[in-house]
Amino acid sequence: MKLPALDRRALYVLLFLAVALPLLFPIGLVGSVSKSTRQFHRLIESLQPGDVILISFDCEAASWAEIGPVARAVILHAMKRDLRIVGTSFLSEGTALGYRLLSELATEHGKSYGEDWAYLGFRPQYVAAMLGLGESIIREYPKDYLEQPAESLPIFAGVQSYRQIKLVISIADDSMPQYWVEYAGGRHGVPIAAGLSAVMLTTFTPYLDSHQLVGLVSGLKGAAEYEQLLGVTGAGTRGMDAQSSAHLAIIVLVVVGNAIYFRGRRKS
Amino acid sequence: MSEPAIWISALCTLAIYSFLYRDNPVYRAAEQILVGLSVGYLVVITVRSTLIPRVWTPATDGNPWAFVAAALVLLMWTRLHPKAGWLSRLPLALVVGAGAGLSIPALLKARVTSQMAAVLTPTPDFNTFVGALGVITTLAYFHFTRPRTGVFDGVARVGTWYLMIFFGATFGFTIMSRISLLLGRSEFLLGTWLGILP
Amino acid sequence: MRLRLPLFLVTGFGVALLLQYFIPLPAGQAFYSRALEWMQVIFAAGLLLGGANFARLHLKRAATRKDERPYSLLALAALATMLVAGAVSIGRDSTFLWLFDNLQAPMQQTVFSLLAFFVATAAYRGFRLRSVESGLLLSVALIVMIGRIPVGELISPVLPQAASWLVDVPAVAAKRGILIGVGLGSVAVSLRVILGVERAWLGGSQ
Repeated sequence: MKLPALDRRALYVLLFLAVALPLLFPIGLVGSVSKSTRQFHRLIESLQPGDVILISFDCEAASWAEIGPVARAVILHAMKRDLRIVGTSFLSEGTALGYRLLSELATEHGKSYGEDWAYLGFRPQYVAAMLGLGESIIREYPKDYLEQPAESLPIFAGVQSYRQIKLVISIADDSMPQYWVEYAGGRHGVPIAAGLSAVMLTTFTPYLDSHQLVGLVSGLKGAAEYEQLLGVTGAGTRGMDAQSSAHLAIIVLVVVGNAIYFRGRRKS
Repeated sequence: MSEPAIWISALCTLAIYSFLYRDNPVYRAAEQILVGLSVGYLVVITVRSTLIPRVWTPATDGNPWAFVAAALVLLMWTRLHPKAGWLSRLPLALVVGAGAGLSIPALLKARVTSQMAAVLTPTPDFNTFVGALGVITTLAYFHFTRPRTGVFDGVARVGTWYLMIFFGATFGFTIMSRISLLLGRSEFLLGTWLGILP
Repeated sequence: MRLRLPLFLVTGFGVALLLQYFIPLPAGQAFYSRALEWMQVIFAAGLLLGGANFARLHLKRAATRKDERPYSLLALAALATMLVAGAVSIGRDSTFLWLFDNLQAPMQQTVFSLLAFFVATAAYRGFRLRSVESGLLLSVALIVMIGRIPVGELISPVLPQAASWLVDVPAVAAKRGILIGVGLGSVAVSLRVILGVERAWLGGSQ
C-alpha cells in the first residue's frame, strides 16, 4: 500500500518545528551523567595545575555545532584546573575553529598566550606529525600558528615531546583518535582521550574498553553531561529539550511509516 | 559577531536551506562560494603552516636539507605536466612506502593484539562471554572463503545479529548527530539572528 | 625506470621505517626524522596540487560552458579572495578568519545540517521492518535514540541502561571483530605495497 501522499517539505517543516519549539519554549530536561563522561571529568581533575596537555582539533566546521560544545566544556575545565594547553589540528578547518575557541576562552579566563597556552596550527600529514611530536615538538613545529618561533614561547621550556605531555585530547568528528591511539599512544605511550561526535561513539567504545583511550565524551548529550559536572549551562544543556523532541519526532515517523506499511501488506 | 556579520551568515544559511524547497540558482551560487572559500582556506593554511616554515624559510637560511624538500615539492607538481607527470611517482613512493612501513607495527599493536587481549578479562562474567561470542562470530561472518554450511552457517548468522546491533546503535547515534547539527543552525537563526530565543 | 624507481623507493622506505621501529639505531633515527619531515612537505605539496587543479577546472569551465560560467567565476572569486586575505594575515582579527567564521563555517554547517531533514524523510518512507535482521537493527536504533535522551530516563530507567548495555557489550564485540579483521587486512595490504605487489597507488598505466 502506498504511503499517504505527504510532501517531503511537510516532513521538513515537522522536523524544524520539533527542533525550534523546544528552543523557543524550553522545558529544561536534564539527564543523568554517563560513566564515560564522569571518567573523562575525573581524568582532568587528576591532573595538576601547570601540567601540559595537547588538544588536537581534528574536526571540520560541518560538525562544529555538535563538537564545539564538547570542546568548550573540556577546555573550560582544563583552564579552571590551570592546566597549560597546547593546541594543534590535523584537519584544516579545525585549525581556525580551535584557534578561535582557545583564544576566546583564554581571554575570558585571563590566560596568557605563550605561557598558559599556545597554538601550533595545522599539519597536513597526521601520521608524520603524530610521530614527529614524539621526537621533538619544536622540530615538528618550528613556528606556531601566528608564525612566531615556537622555541621562544615559555610554555615549551621543559616540554620537548610527549614525555612532558600528560594527556592528548583529540576533538574529532571522524577517525583521527584511532590514529592517535595507533601512532602516538602505541609507539610513545602518551595517554589519549577523545571528544567525539555521537556518530563515532560505537567506533571508539572498544578503545575505551581496552584502555587504549583513557577518556571519551561524545555528542551534544556528552557536552550537556560535562556542563552538568562543571555546573555551567552551555549549548549542550540548552539543546537537550530540542534533541529529545526531534528524536521523538523521528521515532514517530518510523513507527507511523511502518504501521501503514504493515497494514497495507495485511490488506493485500 | 557584529551585526553585519550575523546578517551575512544568516543569509548564507538561508541560501543553502533554499535547497530544501528545490534546487535553485541561489543555492548553487552559495555552494560555489563555499567550495571556493574552502579551497582557498586550505591552500593558505597549508602554505603558511608547512611550506613556508619547513621549506621556504630554511632554504633562504641556506639549510641544504631544505633544498631536498623543495625538490620533492617540485617533483610532486610535475603531475600537472602530461609528459613529466611520472616524476610525481617518486615523492609519492616515499609517502606510500613510509606510510606502509610505519603502519604495520602500529596496526598490529593497536587493532589486533590490544583488541584481542581486551576480549577476555581477569574476572570473566556474563558480559565477557557475550563479548567473546560476538568477536568470534563476527570474525566468522567475515570469513567469506568458506562455504556457509552446517555449524559454520549458524555461527556466522549469530555474527550477523551482532553486526545488526552494532549498525543499529551506530544508526541511532548518526541520527542523533545530524539532529545536533540542525539544532546548531536553528539556535543561530532563531537566537543570534532573530533574537527570539529566551 | 618509470616503474622500477618508484617501486624501489617504496620498498626501500617501507622496509627501512619498519625495521627502524624494531631496531632504533642512531643513524636510523636521523633517517626516520628526515622521512617524517619529507612526508609532511610532500603531502602539503599534494594539497596545493589539488588547489591548482580546482582553479584549472573552473577556469576551463568558465571559458567553455556558458551555463556554468557564473558559478565557476563565483568559485574562482571566492578562492582569490581567500588567498589574498590569507596572504595578508591569519591572526585573530584578520579578514581571513572573518571570512572563515562568517561565510565558510556557517555554510559548511548548514550543508551538513540538511542531512537531518533527509533523515526525517527516510524515517517515514524508507526505514522498514522487512526481516529479522532489519528489525533488530531498527529496534536497537530506537532504543539507543530514546535511551540517550533525558526523556528516555523519564519514560523508564531501563531504557538508558539497555542503551548503554547494547553499546558497551554486543556493539563493542562486533566492532572489535571488525577492527581485528580490518587490522589484519590492512597489515596484509601494507606488506603487499612494500613488496611491490600492490601498485594501484602508481595510477595510470602501471
